[in-house]
Amino acid sequence: MKKLLSVLLVICMISVMLAGCGNDTQGTNVASAAPSSAAVSGQAAASSKAEPTRATLNVMMSFPRFTDQMEAYLNQFKAKILAEKNMEAVINLEMPSSDQYGNIIQTRLSSNDAPDLFTLHASADLPTYVKAGYVADLTSQPLADKLYDDVRKTVTIDNKVYAVPFESTVWGYLYNKDIFNKLGLKVPDTLDQMKTVVKTLKDNGYTPFELAFQEQWVPQLMTALTLGGKVSGSIPDWTDRMYKDQGSYKEVVEIFDVIDLIMQNGTKNALDKGSEQGAADFANGKAAMFVQGTWSAESILGVNPDIKIGVGALPVNNDINCTKINLATTTSLAVYSGTKEMETALALANYMLDDKDSSALYKELKFNPVAKCHSFEQYSWAKEASSYVEQGRSYRDLVLPNAVTDEQGKLLQSYYAKKTTKDEFIKVMDKTFKDANRAAAQAK
Amino acid sequence: MNINKKQSQNFTLILFVLPAFIFFAAFKLIPAVLGLWYSFTNWNGINPTYKIIGFENFAEIFTGDADFWRAMLFTLKYVGAAIVALNVCALVLAVLIESARKGRSFFRTIFYMPNMISMIIGGYMWNFIFTQVLYYIADNTGLEFLNKSWLGDPKYSFTAIVIVAVWGGAGYLMVIYIAAIQSVPTALIEAAVVDGASAFRRFISITLPMIKQAFTICLFVTLNSAFQVFDVVFSLTGGGPGRLTQVVAINIYEEAFGRSNRLGYATAKSTILFLVIMLITLIQLRVMKKGEEEM
Repeated sequence: MKKLLSVLLVICMISVMLAGCGNDTQGTNVASAAPSSAAVSGQAAASSKAEPTRATLNVMMSFPRFTDQMEAYLNQFKAKILAEKNMEAVINLEMPSSDQYGNIIQTRLSSNDAPDLFTLHASADLPTYVKAGYVADLTSQPLADKLYDDVRKTVTIDNKVYAVPFESTVWGYLYNKDIFNKLGLKVPDTLDQMKTVVKTLKDNGYTPFELAFQEQWVPQLMTALTLGGKVSGSIPDWTDRMYKDQGSYKEVVEIFDVIDLIMQNGTKNALDKGSEQGAADFANGKAAMFVQGTWSAESILGVNPDIKIGVGALPVNNDINCTKINLATTTSLAVYSGTKEMETALALANYMLDDKDSSALYKELKFNPVAKCHSFEQYSWAKEASSYVEQGRSYRDLVLPNAVTDEQGKLLQSYYAKKTTKDEFIKVMDKTFKDANRAAAQAK
Repeated sequence: MNINKKQSQNFTLILFVLPAFIFFAAFKLIPAVLGLWYSFTNWNGINPTYKIIGFENFAEIFTGDADFWRAMLFTLKYVGAAIVALNVCALVLAVLIESARKGRSFFRTIFYMPNMISMIIGGYMWNFIFTQVLYYIADNTGLEFLNKSWLGDPKYSFTAIVIVAVWGGAGYLMVIYIAAIQSVPTALIEAAVVDGASAFRRFISITLPMIKQAFTICLFVTLNSAFQVFDVVFSLTGGGPGRLTQVVAINIYEEAFGRSNRLGYATAKSTILFLVIMLITLIQLRVMKKGEEEM
């Protein structure tokens, strides 16, 4: 009797456990109350109408902060295709946090559990995933023709469009307009002008640069800007040659002129300061300039809504052709090549750039316009940055291997801590680039 | 009949162990075996296909990976410091609490508490303390020795990491030590008191030898966890500045999920870490066992 009882107990435990495991829907099910009730009432009201076809789409995106807006937009999409194609779509939206997103999507793809649509970083991740064959070609879709030419290039690989760009940024460094106006300073176009600006700021008791180097991606922004300016302005074939193991960081050692200037004239305790803290300090006027993209504008304005921010291009040397602004597409939406619901998935991808609804979405999410269907007022700093683009003073964000980008940030941290010299930086970066090339070749 | 009964008893036992075993197999055993397999491939974690490349990964680690060995060295340094600091602190706490007249359970709870907080959260809390609170205190009280770049300067960040590790880990070891101290027969202590032994003498000659098993357990636990340390370092310095505080686990993580996504290569590194831990643990267990038998 006792035995029987214990066996029963064990079985009970196991089944409870399995039930617990089985319930693994992490994502929020957008198809909650509204659509199903709509479907029910729809059926009741129009029984003469044909039964709607059904489709289930899994969508994974890397910006949890926009979950509400995205869910609302997906609901609009469901209403649209129910009306136009008589299709009832169930859309499961998952929003893992961006720092885990890479691992999650990687696991899901390699375990044959891929979402039908997912976001990728256009320059850092898209090429790898395209090569692995996970991304559907969107060239023939209407969305491809709507994209601005500059932006279209950022999601094009081998002349094929592979993703819908969401976030695109036009960025340089940020400066505090109030301080600049008060001292009558102009945004510098050359390194010498920058030196004068730094001197004036210091003479008037201001700290020129905000430094927040605790997270390696923040110091890395300095290399992104300086390399971008230098390479696009005077040695345009550098990146290609680096990919062929034929270049060296020796050719761009000049970037340290401005990096040194920034590091020597910045706020203290930089390695203890995270990016948010840096943004807060900049917002409170502790420094006049901050090498940080426009994406941090929200954090800065959150701390001090009255601050007036400007965007400038970081000079590398005295050649104005090298002083340019960075144009980059980051988060973009790709369609899984193996999806079972290709037609619906493509419809959703196209709806992201819908002539009628897309503008409102991009505006609400504070994204820059990426396509001809986008007509909305931009923020003043975004406009200022865009004016560089209009003058032709922008370059497309350099596409470097992830390993190289990471390493640059790490080395700059230890360069700031004076544990690495310029020569070591060059040596290690050259090696890292070669290793990355080899790893990429191996993966083919 | 008797055999039958025994068999069904065994069956019941197996049933009871089964749920735990399923979990162990699904989340530890199978991934470990797979990891070993991937270490012989060049899989990047994304591609659907990969090649078996034999011992190439291992050869590369031994010939061309200075960062990994630097991380290994830093980990060894950390293991040494953490084992000493953790066990000394835990033992001192255990003795103090056991000799307290009042509020034993209160202090026990207080010191055990950090163990219940996830180390990642604890790490970020300390991150805030090191980067904000200490500066504030230094600025407002003139305690100049606090005004250091605790996490930014590798000279001090090692200390910071050990401090947080002790904060988070000492409570657990303390409980083991307390249990051991409580199991020391009071008759022995009373006899020593009658003989006129001082409190210090009683601790050295009676308590310490009697709690030797607890030492074995605690050393085993700290050795293991210190080698695999990740969360404390990750949340405090992230291995930075640069790679100056990078431990092996972070190096492996970076290789697998950052840089060039070389998952196969990263699993080769973790295989080496596994072998190192196994070797040291085997030696340690053997030595400690000998010590226990001698008693």
